[in-house]
Amino acid sequence: MRNKIRNFLNNGDLGRFRFWLQLSLFILFVYGGYAAINMGDSLPTFSCTYVDGKPGTCFLVPLQHRMVTTPEKLFSYAGMAILTGLFYFTLWFLVFNKAWCGYACPLGAIQDWITALRKKLGMQYVTYSWEQFKVLKKIKYILLLLLIFIPMGIGSGIFSYDMGVPFCMICPARTILPIFSGDFSQLTIDFSSKTKMIMTSLGMLITGIFLVGAFVKKRFFCFFCPMSALHYLLSKPALLKLKKDGSKCTKCGDCYSVCDMQIKEIADDVESRNILQDDCIMCFKCVAACPEEGALEVDFMGQPVFEATVQGYIKRMEKANKNG
Amino acid sequence: MDNELQAEKKSVPFNRTHQAIEAERMLRRIKDDFSDNPDAMDYFYDLYEQVYCKGESLHKEEKVVGTMCVQVPEELIYAAGGVPVRLCNGFYTDDQVGAEFMPAKSCSLVKATLGMLDKGSTLPFVDKVENIILPATCDQKRKAGAMISEMGYEVYDMEVPPVKESEEARLYWRRSVHNFAVSLKKITGKKITKANLKDALAKVAAAQKAYRTLHVLRKESPSIFLGKDAFMVTNAYFFDKIENWTAAVNRLNAELEQRKEKKITAAQRRAPRILFTGSPAIFPNLKLPVLIEESGGVIVADETCSSNRMLYDMVAVDEYNTENMVASIADNYLKPCTCPIFTRNDDRKRKLLNMAKDFAVDGVVYQSFSGCQVYQMEHSSIAKALQAEGIPMLFVESDYSPDDMGQLSTRIEAFIESLKAKRRRKR
Amino acid sequence: MNCFAGIDIGSTAIKIALIDEDKNVIASRVTSTGSHFRKNSVDALHGLLAENGLGIDDLAYMISTGYGRKLLKEADESVSEITANAIGALEAGRKYGEIRTIINIGGQDTKAIQIDSSGTVTNFAMNDKCAAGTGKFLDVTARNLEIELEELGDYHFNLKTAPLPINSTCVVFAESEIIGLLADGHGKEEIVAGIHYSIAKRTIRLAKRIGLDGLVYFDGGPALNKGLVASMEDELGKKLVIPEFPQLTTALGASVLACEAYLDELEIA
Repeated sequence: MRNKIRNFLNNGDLGRFRFWLQLSLFILFVYGGYAAINMGDSLPTFSCTYVDGKPGTCFLVPLQHRMVTTPEKLFSYAGMAILTGLFYFTLWFLVFNKAWCGYACPLGAIQDWITALRKKLGMQYVTYSWEQFKVLKKIKYILLLLLIFIPMGIGSGIFSYDMGVPFCMICPARTILPIFSGDFSQLTIDFSSKTKMIMTSLGMLITGIFLVGAFVKKRFFCFFCPMSALHYLLSKPALLKLKKDGSKCTKCGDCYSVCDMQIKEIADDVESRNILQDDCIMCFKCVAACPEEGALEVDFMGQPVFEATVQGYIKRMEKANKNG
Repeated sequence: MDNELQAEKKSVPFNRTHQAIEAERMLRRIKDDFSDNPDAMDYFYDLYEQVYCKGESLHKEEKVVGTMCVQVPEELIYAAGGVPVRLCNGFYTDDQVGAEFMPAKSCSLVKATLGMLDKGSTLPFVDKVENIILPATCDQKRKAGAMISEMGYEVYDMEVPPVKESEEARLYWRRSVHNFAVSLKKITGKKITKANLKDALAKVAAAQKAYRTLHVLRKESPSIFLGKDAFMVTNAYFFDKIENWTAAVNRLNAELEQRKEKKITAAQRRAPRILFTGSPAIFPNLKLPVLIEESGGVIVADETCSSNRMLYDMVAVDEYNTENMVASIADNYLKPCTCPIFTRNDDRKRKLLNMAKDFAVDGVVYQSFSGCQVYQMEHSSIAKALQAEGIPMLFVESDYSPDDMGQLSTRIEAFIESLKAKRRRKR
Repeated sequence: MNCFAGIDIGSTAIKIALIDEDKNVIASRVTSTGSHFRKNSVDALHGLLAENGLGIDDLAYMISTGYGRKLLKEADESVSEITANAIGALEAGRKYGEIRTIINIGGQDTKAIQIDSSGTVTNFAMNDKCAAGTGKFLDVTARNLEIELEELGDYHFNLKTAPLPINSTCVVFAESEIIGLLADGHGKEEIVAGIHYSIAKRTIRLAKRIGLDGLVYFDGGPALNKGLVASMEDELGKKLVIPEFPQLTTALGASVLACEAYLDELEIA
């Protein structure tokens, strides 16, 4: 019986499973609030505060709010609030690790749908060169630092309050997600002050870049996402893990070929067991595309839930060739 | 070559040429020295009979594109409407012809291939080869390109990076494969499109699926399939029509499944299980594998470019458009390649250790052709890695000449005997 | 009374060993291979049995080894000479200690074998492509110097000066070199010692490939040559174990294997 379940899972059509799960969770994170669902304000995904029907709020919002304080207050009671929020954030995060990115994030889902549109139009995607990759991947950490220190700067009077919640001003979730409830109000430039004008213009610009970027590159925004950086820093003790058995790896590069994030370590690293990288969105396309029995696997609390198998690989590839 | 002499040579019926006789001899040995061959193997025995002993042509209408070395992406050739035929030759007869103009210490495989191409050949499907794709792999293959051009063939030199780990190597090889894909139009007259490349990928994937199933069936203990037959099957992939080959292997797999059910074994329960690696065993130079199995061992797996490595690594494609498919194919032909022409052999060590464990192997036989510097230089590090896991290895240097049978049999038998003794002590 | 035979069919000589159930040697024989080795083997075997009051019915199991092993249909089984030599050295060397390495110089080949404590071969190296460093070299030397093979040892020890370095690696070319050296006025003692060192160097080089730890056992016909043994020990840096009848070790090993095979079969039955 156990083997039957195992085979069923390992032979599964990951693409189809992912599509339906992403759609369901998108509906949850954009309309869940209308069903009075309340998941708190420490969510590890872009459940955007600007969305009317949100079931909870992205943690970056309260984080930035609470960082608008002076250093003295930060190291006393204000700091408590941040730690509490971080605690709840960590709890949510540790269950599903970075699969929040690959399966739950509504911004991620939108990018995947834009990719699907591009595929339908028969157009090819763009990739970064290795030099570009190495430089650009640092941006997410810079953004994470900025969204912590700019609010502190606002609290100490260095920056104007007109900067608002700085990351949210440039985050494409603010402008795009409300559209799904008919709300276009975020797509504006606010001329009421110079700072606001700059921030909102930047927001519009980045929205434009986001849409074009997501069209030409798979999961464009995720490469720069500060949430992704924060995830990675906490990922070690997570319950859901992506594991590799290097002794079985033939370096065939199939995993790298299908990876949206252009992660090389998945193919080239044959030493590490925990193969999660900071760019990884845990979509598990790599596991689905691996033809070596047991080389890659997804573990939940130490138990394998999805493993690379020859049979699974062949089934999925044959189907992809027929439909692709 | 003298015209009169050439005319005289052509007047000998094919099945009485030295080549045909050599083929016949090995074919007899493979069929008759062993009892209870699977019925599905008859397809392959007959195929060899047809092609090598009777000299019949297989690919009459299609454009045959000769390949030398396993790095040539076949999917691209199929997509461009050609038929890839691997030219690496195993005939001692041709080795002797090649020896007339090649240096004395050369690899028998290269000598034999050049010998075959030089004669304007008695091998029927090679008669019509005009284009040969030659990846720049080992020294001898690399220099052979110029010699083959002088013989009148159109040689396409494929650029291969000597270091495969770097990003530069990946890009270099992708460029090389891209250029090759573009050049194919000049060779076959057809352009590679999304549709025909998809079909080519599906065709090759079907063949690889059949091979992988066979590969997994060989894990059975006691063994249900002999290595000598496995080599016959994979060597046939060099030149057979791919759809026929795939169907034949699927029939073989079905029969082996039945044998598994009925507990019919191909080797004795205590027969030492051998992993064969090194310089490729190509029909009719299957003397070492046949010797191993005649001495009581059974080859359950191999790591050679004339067998396992041709068919093992399967391509994964994310989006089915031409550029992405070509890039995926390119990566798949370079990164997992365990050919010793590259600077490091960590991937080969890992693959051998994994296979040895997976197939419960008792010992490894490492063949190296005389003159093959790359395989010879790797053997001690491989031996060390295997020894660390408690797996004994026998290193055998050989060539195509039949006069070393006595020496080979002494070594092989001693090795098999020591493996049997080890097993006995364990019990 | 059950006895077991091991027949080592070499290129120059046929060696037979007969043992009893307790693995004690009953008798042995060395005879020339000749041109009809199958007939000669069978005749020698029958002769040996008769001499010791035994008949062919007393022979429970026979194993053949050596280059002609497969063609002796009268044998029950055949094993490679490497395996046989290993087992033989383990048995014959027991009284000297635990043998770990075996060096065999035969008529036309040289072997180095590494074994574990149970006699299982763990590694081996062979030179069977070239006659240099084999018994052939000694034959050629003796013939060119017009002395007997058995005298080589004496000539070696009679040498008062240093051995002559022999440059030729090929036996055929060494012949010319020897004649040249004699013409130059060099003594036979110098030349003999030189040849011995040449063989010793090559052999130890071959043996180093598989490791030379523990007790080293030296067998094969040329081991009777005390001069060769001295130069080998010199090159090796330690003493060698030389059995009483070095040409018979392989045949002895084959007979021990015959005894074990027979007892195995009884056990299974």
